[in-house]
Amino acid sequence: MNQEIIEKTKNKSKDEANKNLITKVNVNKLNLWYGDNQALHDINIDIHEHKITALIGPSGCGKSTFLRCLNRMNDLISAVKIKGEVIIDKKNIYDKDIDEVSVRKKIGMVFQQPNPFPKSIYDNVAYAALKHSLVKKGSACDELVEKSLRDSGLWNEVKDKLNHPGTSLSGGQQQRLCIARTIAIQPEVILMDEPTSALDPISTEKIEALMLELKQKYTIITVTHNMQQAARVADYTAFFHLGELIEYDETENVFINPKLKKTEDYITGRFG
Amino acid sequence: MLKTYEQKVETITEAICELGRLVLDSNKKALDALKNNNIEALNDITVPSKKLTIKSNEIDNLIVTTLALYSPEARDLRQMVAYLKITNELIRAGSNTKTFIKGFRRSYSEDINTAAILEYVIPLLKASTQALSITISMIENNDVQTIEENYNRVLVEESKTDDLYSMIEKNILKLISKHLELSKDYFDLLSSFRRLEKIADRASSIANLLLFANLGGELNS
Repeated sequence: MNQEIIEKTKNKSKDEANKNLITKVNVNKLNLWYGDNQALHDINIDIHEHKITALIGPSGCGKSTFLRCLNRMNDLISAVKIKGEVIIDKKNIYDKDIDEVSVRKKIGMVFQQPNPFPKSIYDNVAYAALKHSLVKKGSACDELVEKSLRDSGLWNEVKDKLNHPGTSLSGGQQQRLCIARTIAIQPEVILMDEPTSALDPISTEKIEALMLELKQKYTIITVTHNMQQAARVADYTAFFHLGELIEYDETENVFINPKLKKTEDYITGRFG
Repeated sequence: MLKTYEQKVETITEAICELGRLVLDSNKKALDALKNNNIEALNDITVPSKKLTIKSNEIDNLIVTTLALYSPEARDLRQMVAYLKITNELIRAGSNTKTFIKGFRRSYSEDINTAAILEYVIPLLKASTQALSITISMIENNDVQTIEENYNRVLVEESKTDDLYSMIEKNILKLISKHLELSKDYFDLLSSFRRLEKIADRASSIANLLLFANLGGELNS
């Protein structure tokens, strides 16, 4: 009886929470081939706005390939063929009239290895914003650089050395600089491909804390091999295996009560 | 640890304190009723067993979620494991309180030596309530030095209840030998007093768990 009451209350609050969810990225029947080899099979997923979604799965399962589909990074590989839709704000980013540069402006990306430009800290943040004509050189650009560095939690550490090279920073700081560079162009979605795999635990914790802050403003999709990281930071988790989306649910459900045995076996380390 | 983890721990800690306060409140009310020689007032004291069970289940599920999502280590892990066991101890303390109130109400009458019974039961209930109260304050304030001090205070109260119970047992046996016709009532009362001693045991067990959580060592409740 008590259990029933608890379940009803839980379901009610879940239903209420679901009502407030807005789909930011809607993927329909997405298939991808590298030449003859099909890497993604009929992926259907709704990614929610202002949430962190983690993509997990063993190596070669297609999670990074899927992530790169979301900002048309796979277009850069000639042998790739893609079918299906990735709808962002009611527009399929693979429609012929859509320019991939405008897609990548809307959907920023942070990579596994911090990859600052061989330029100053200031220029690293300002570069894309100036290129996209979001600001002009001068005080507006200074403000944007400061705001981006503040939002990425780096301002206090670099405010006195903005003209030092970006590469002079530590690995963790470089990664936060890359995040600052990403948010400077005011994207709506941030893709992160194993953003902490090259970092030490302290830098990892800083990036994770930053992700939790950033989700207030952005929708974050992250690929991670670290399941504890997915559990700690993600609101939703998608489990991929052999190019298929096996299970997608709230992180709590995936890690405590996964619906499928395959998911449970992966999470408990029985395969992968 | 992430802010979200700290928030979860704070929520769990507050919920456990609330659970403890529900049990403590019933004990305090029972103590007031006995101190004022107002046995009728015991009828108005309800130990909200259902509410305790629902709350305890909620807390346990929160702990499971926290363990699954944050994989805490060292002190954080010990704290979660201790909390998981503490909810059970509090439920058992609540059940002991309920049984004491029910048993005492049923067997207490003008036929028995009420003055002698009250003389024994009040200090016993006071000591068990005090033990419970100190353990709850240990959950609220887990500063290492305070934890150790309070742990020792709980042990003193628990030891008091052991001694008081032995004295009561001896004295009640004497009363029974004088009034064999009331032996059932006296035995039932003794059985209800045993519950108070158990409450102090539960408090001591919780104190042990909090010591484990904060200082480490081996789990030994």
